[in-house]
Amino acid sequence: MFFHIVLERNMQLHPRHFGRDLREKLVSKLMKDVEGTCSGRHGFVVAITGIENVGKGLIRDGTGFVTFPVKYQCVVFRPFKGEILEAVVTMVNKMGFFAEAGPVQIFVSNHLIPDDMEFQSGDMPNYTTSDGSVKIQKESEVRLKIIGTRVDATEIFCIGTIKDDFLGVISDPGAAS
Amino acid sequence: MSVEPFNRLVKLAARAFYDDITTKGENQPKTGRSDNRGIAVVVLDALTRRQWVREEDLAKDLKLHSKQLRRTLRFFEEEKLVTRDHRRETAKGAKIYSAAIAATADGQQNGREGEEKIKLHTHSYCCLDYAQIYDVVRYRLHRMKKKLKDELENKNTVQEYICPNCGKRYTALDALRLVSPEDEYFHCESCNGELVAESDKLAAQEMGDGDDNARRRRREKLKDMLQKMEEQLKPLMDQLSRVKDLPSPEFGNLHAWELRANAAVRAANGDSSANDSSKSSQGLGFGGTPMPFVGETKVEVAFSGIEEKGEDIKSENANSPMKVLPPWMIKQGMNLTKEQRGEVKQESKMEGTSAADEYVKAYYAALLQRQREQEEAAKREQELLNTNISNGLNGTFERQVGLKSKRDENDEDENVEWEEAPPAGNTGENYKVDLNVQADASGDDDEDDIDWEEG
Repeated sequence: MFFHIVLERNMQLHPRHFGRDLREKLVSKLMKDVEGTCSGRHGFVVAITGIENVGKGLIRDGTGFVTFPVKYQCVVFRPFKGEILEAVVTMVNKMGFFAEAGPVQIFVSNHLIPDDMEFQSGDMPNYTTSDGSVKIQKESEVRLKIIGTRVDATEIFCIGTIKDDFLGVISDPGAAS
Repeated sequence: MSVEPFNRLVKLAARAFYDDITTKGENQPKTGRSDNRGIAVVVLDALTRRQWVREEDLAKDLKLHSKQLRRTLRFFEEEKLVTRDHRRETAKGAKIYSAAIAATADGQQNGREGEEKIKLHTHSYCCLDYAQIYDVVRYRLHRMKKKLKDELENKNTVQEYICPNCGKRYTALDALRLVSPEDEYFHCESCNGELVAESDKLAAQEMGDGDDNARRRRREKLKDMLQKMEEQLKPLMDQLSRVKDLPSPEFGNLHAWELRANAAVRAANGDSSANDSSKSSQGLGFGGTPMPFVGETKVEVAFSGIEEKGEDIKSENANSPMKVLPPWMIKQGMNLTKEQRGEVKQESKMEGTSAADEYVKAYYAALLQRQREQEEAAKREQELLNTNISNGLNGTFERQVGLKSKRDENDEDENVEWEEAPPAGNTGENYKVDLNVQADASGDDDEDDIDWEEG
């Protein structure tokens, strides 16, 4: 699920940036630092959408660096249990398959794949229905439901299932039939 | 508030879930003799017929060894069916309970109190916790159903993996760390062994043959089990739904229950015997045990003390709401037990007030008398003046301690006669005389007063 929230961060700025475009430097550094990171509490920071305010800078003794408390708005993405996501399959093996929904890694184990899909090994391992109409392999897109999340301080990992109504491959033209 | 549906619930649950519970230590040999299955049901049934009960009494009633009973009860405490309370108490403290049990039994005191020893004993009490039992049973059913359904549908279960070499277990959440670049299996982090999916315990029993076959068979078995469970536990579930909207019987904790039961019997009897017993128990029982109601012990202190007024007011308040049951009223019920002492105090206080009254009466009497005497003295003085002045002077000087002027003589006469007056009215205590004099001073002329202080 996506959220638009306000976060705060203390930015350290090198003295060489002090000048007319200090603020721009600060914002660009903030984006570089924050976007794409993951916190267990808020999830993945997808994008910074704006700066709320920049507090008073504090000069660090000895280094000359200045610390600015910056409040910024950002879009975060955090997966929840029970959430339906669309993801791209990245790896298929006998134990199941891995998929990615943006920054989130999801594992679907083989007993959460419908019973009628069988694992086919080969140089392009895949799960296929007995009639061959549906095939899950690398790069295919699937809709899945998250049934468990593991949230660490800097990492979120999910397990999902496609063993439910309306879940499974969505890109494959064969799936439409 | 009816206990009956809840009792039925307890009985059903006991038979459904605790029928074959044995409460024996593992070290004991398993012989036919020591087979005590069914004890749990018996104990639960017995508890449905009681409220709070001392465990020794229960053991006696059930003809069980108290150790065995205690083990069973401890098991139920863990199962959250029973609340227990332990306290160290004297015979007196036990009396509160006895009184309470008598109150619930037939509203009459029985003669059990005598058999308690004086020493402090730790007594354990137990009681069914109906509200919790309702929740526990419901939760148990829910878990059973959920487990079966989840396994049946293979849904929402996090797959577990186990390393056959070192026995280490992983969940699917660890999958990312377990994938190996070489092959398509998961590998153990510590020994690099190939992990196998740990299928559910039910399936494990018959995982011998092909996957598909086993899976199908397992499904059938699960479905069968679920169905059996549904029909066998139907009475229990019906009872649960029947009980759902009823308020569960609440006995409160042991202390509150005792108080309430005692208050109820007092309200029913209204006689002083109940009062007496509870009163006597207050002194000792609460001293030994930490009780949640701190307020009441505080009240007791006032009881033998000097502050009568506050207590009088309280006991007056307590008079009217005598029969009210809720625990917050019970505090006042406590005061109520002290009613008699309060009355006694009132009497003693009455004596005090009457003493004061007497004093006032005596004072007025003395005042009156004194006025009369004053008049007489005035007459006599005139006579004296008329007859012989010097004689009168000498006489007064001899009698007086301090130096007096001539002018004082009439006062002197007054005072001499005045000192005779008090004994008639009062008991003749010193301070009273003083008071009289002061009052006199205010009543009469000022010179009088001054003279006295000099003397």
